[in-house]
Amino acid sequence: MIVQPEGIFYQMLTVENIPNLVEEHLVKGRPVDKLMYVPSKGKPPIPKLSDIAFFSKQRLVVLKNRGLIDPEKIDEYIARDGYQALAKALTSMDSEQVIEQVKGSGLRGRGGAGFSTGLKWELTRKSSGNGKYIICNADEGDPGAFMDRSIIESDPHSVLEGMVIGAYAIGAAEGCIYIREEYPLATKRLHIAIDQAREYGLLGEDILGSGFSFDITVHRGAGAFVCGEETSLIGSLQGQTPEPRIRPPFPAQSGLWGKPTNINNVETWANIPTIINRGAEWFASIGTESSKGTKVFSVVGKVNNTGLVEVPMGMTMREIVFDIGGGIPGGKKFKAVQTGGPSGGCIPESLVDLPIDYERLMEVGSIMGSGGLIVMDEETCMVDVARYFLDFLRSESCGKCTTCREGIAAMHDIVADICNGKGEPENIGLLEELAEAIKDASLCALGGTAPNPVLSTLRYFRDEYDAHIKDKKCPAGVCRALISYRIDPEKCKGCMLCGKHCPEKAIGGEPKGPQTIDLEKCIKCGVCRESCKFEAVLIE
Amino acid sequence: MTQEISIKKNSNGKIGAVMVLGAGVAGIQASLDLADMGYKVYLVENKPSIGGAMAQLDKTFPTNDCAMCLLSPKLVDTARHPNIEIITNADLHKLDGEAGNFTAIIDKRPRYIDEEKCTGCGTCTNNCPVRNIAHFEDVDELGKVHLSQEDQQVIEQILAGHESERAAVISVLQDINARYRYLPEDILRHTAKALDIPLSRVYSIATFYNSFSLVPRGKYVVRVCMGTACHVKGGYQILQALERMLKIASGGTTEDNLFSLEEVRCLGCCGLAPVITVNEDLYGSVKQAKLPKILERYQDESVVAESTVGGTE
Repeated sequence: MIVQPEGIFYQMLTVENIPNLVEEHLVKGRPVDKLMYVPSKGKPPIPKLSDIAFFSKQRLVVLKNRGLIDPEKIDEYIARDGYQALAKALTSMDSEQVIEQVKGSGLRGRGGAGFSTGLKWELTRKSSGNGKYIICNADEGDPGAFMDRSIIESDPHSVLEGMVIGAYAIGAAEGCIYIREEYPLATKRLHIAIDQAREYGLLGEDILGSGFSFDITVHRGAGAFVCGEETSLIGSLQGQTPEPRIRPPFPAQSGLWGKPTNINNVETWANIPTIINRGAEWFASIGTESSKGTKVFSVVGKVNNTGLVEVPMGMTMREIVFDIGGGIPGGKKFKAVQTGGPSGGCIPESLVDLPIDYERLMEVGSIMGSGGLIVMDEETCMVDVARYFLDFLRSESCGKCTTCREGIAAMHDIVADICNGKGEPENIGLLEELAEAIKDASLCALGGTAPNPVLSTLRYFRDEYDAHIKDKKCPAGVCRALISYRIDPEKCKGCMLCGKHCPEKAIGGEPKGPQTIDLEKCIKCGVCRESCKFEAVLIE
Repeated sequence: MTQEISIKKNSNGKIGAVMVLGAGVAGIQASLDLADMGYKVYLVENKPSIGGAMAQLDKTFPTNDCAMCLLSPKLVDTARHPNIEIITNADLHKLDGEAGNFTAIIDKRPRYIDEEKCTGCGTCTNNCPVRNIAHFEDVDELGKVHLSQEDQQVIEQILAGHESERAAVISVLQDINARYRYLPEDILRHTAKALDIPLSRVYSIATFYNSFSLVPRGKYVVRVCMGTACHVKGGYQILQALERMLKIASGGTTEDNLFSLEEVRCLGCCGLAPVITVNEDLYGSVKQAKLPKILERYQDESVVAESTVGGTE
């Protein structure tokens, strides 16, 4: 809760706090310290939202309306200068000027590959043929990223406005939004927003009296990661099995129903209104040489402040994880940040001062992706992370290319063996060989980038692979076949909570006395460690 | 008709003839190579014509070359090669002997025409009063669609809702899935007919996407998020704990049809990891120890619901 005009921020409120808060702050004008945000124990509370590092370091462009407007009311969006950019584009700019602005801004696709948005628009515009389409890719498949959901849920009109401007620039009459079915609320709000925009004459025939007509339909996905790939997304929209196809022809030449089609992701579209409103130069002044503007990241995993952050391109990983994210919980040691979803890689602590932009991430073996930053601490096993991504990709591969379908499965089995303590030293070479083959011979980006999680963990965390293979140990204490649980008799208070939760009744001992685990019965589920209040359960 | 192939032996005791089974592109190429080397080749094929699967393809992977352009010269070469004898519409009945000296007995099914005289002009096919004999399986005959009146109404309503869409099949399947919690076979057959698309395509879509199931799901679908953030915070342990508690594997349904357990790729609530959902309800920061309480909530409700309709033990 924020009390304006001072901007005092209260958090973790319950109904019981409210009478006190009203009495003290609102009536008597005395802010209540104990309900304010405290950065860490023992430090003084920070009253103002704008002073809290999590917020002060952010720069909101795409998320500027987050939490400030009711996403189901178009009037509130308009009150925050909404649809002004559309009016500007339709009344005072021709389509070339709009494309020039977008090109000049240096905006690059926020979905992962980072292709210049203006250039993409120009290609589609120049393609011959009528009945062009534009598509908004809201099939946010990368696990660990949820900015597209949040943008649509909190500010759906910004996406619609971006799309109408794009359609005007490209010369498209129809638009589709392809959204994941896992996002029911976002889908609902999109429908509401589209209906309201139609009612206000901002969608449909003759928009704002300019003679330009454009309408948008919403299509739900059905749970397939590969649909994020543009040609398979188009296949899915056409009611086919979503298998990627060879490019060229690119969608800009022949896309949906064989017509020139422009696909951008949600965050890209949501950037457009601000670029048109404030101009290309303003946008290009933010960010680094090659990557302009801001980027929304979802900072999640083993980090104190989880959530979406929007920062200028070029901010270092350290600032994001430690200043905004507030560091690692429980005083644990930071190990790595995973970026780019299953196509990306893990960035180790040694590279934490890396400024984040498209090229730098590429250089270190990862990609920008859609912006998920999963923070990992010393208790995350990098071999297990590699296995996790291979498992993900194995089941999400569409199966068209043999190298991807069989290669990823083969890599998964090898890495799973390593996790299970059955690894051999020669496995590493085989993994690298398979990785090359998969990269070279797969048609789409899913296969082409699939080996990245393995290659980047091999590159930076070779010692962990070695520990699994040679010493049959999991240093992070994750891989179940290589660990055992033990209760530290010094720390154990004999509360017997662990024994209560143990599914195998493998924990015994006297009340108030130290407990012991029967390793014969133990299935290593970890519930004892999770429920222990005294951190007495150790992993060995 | 049974044809016996036996060949005179060479001076070294080996036979100078080879039998190739299967006249797909591999068999054809092998026959051509062997025939060029001077062997007599018997190319035996089960189907009425040679060419196999490749003859039915438009393009080949991964180069997108035209399949027929590659294959047809080989077909012609095979037919014209003096060392190759093509035996189509035939099965291998028996094979005796050892390497270098086999005796094969081949059953050849009747064609009802004289192969020696036929020029393949195709006039007979054009003049035949019966169409499409036995070349393709007939969907109508394979599985008659049995729909109750209620199902019929439901599916008609769903189909009507997507009439204007150009590619309605996925949306229709989603609506069926939402209504029944899975895709019943008869309804899929009906859908294929109504949308005028092959059942095989409906099936390929129904099995491709994660959200569709061809087997009935339980009343409550417990979905465990397998996103990266959930994974590093112990999502997999949660899944395994649920497997233990419900005594089913991931993807299964309990015997009483109350719970189904599924994995979901990412629910996009990574800040709350690890996350599970039970139907529409979302639970964040889940711990193994909390799971029994969560499940209990739905078990109790089911007891109430059943007792109100007078259910038995």
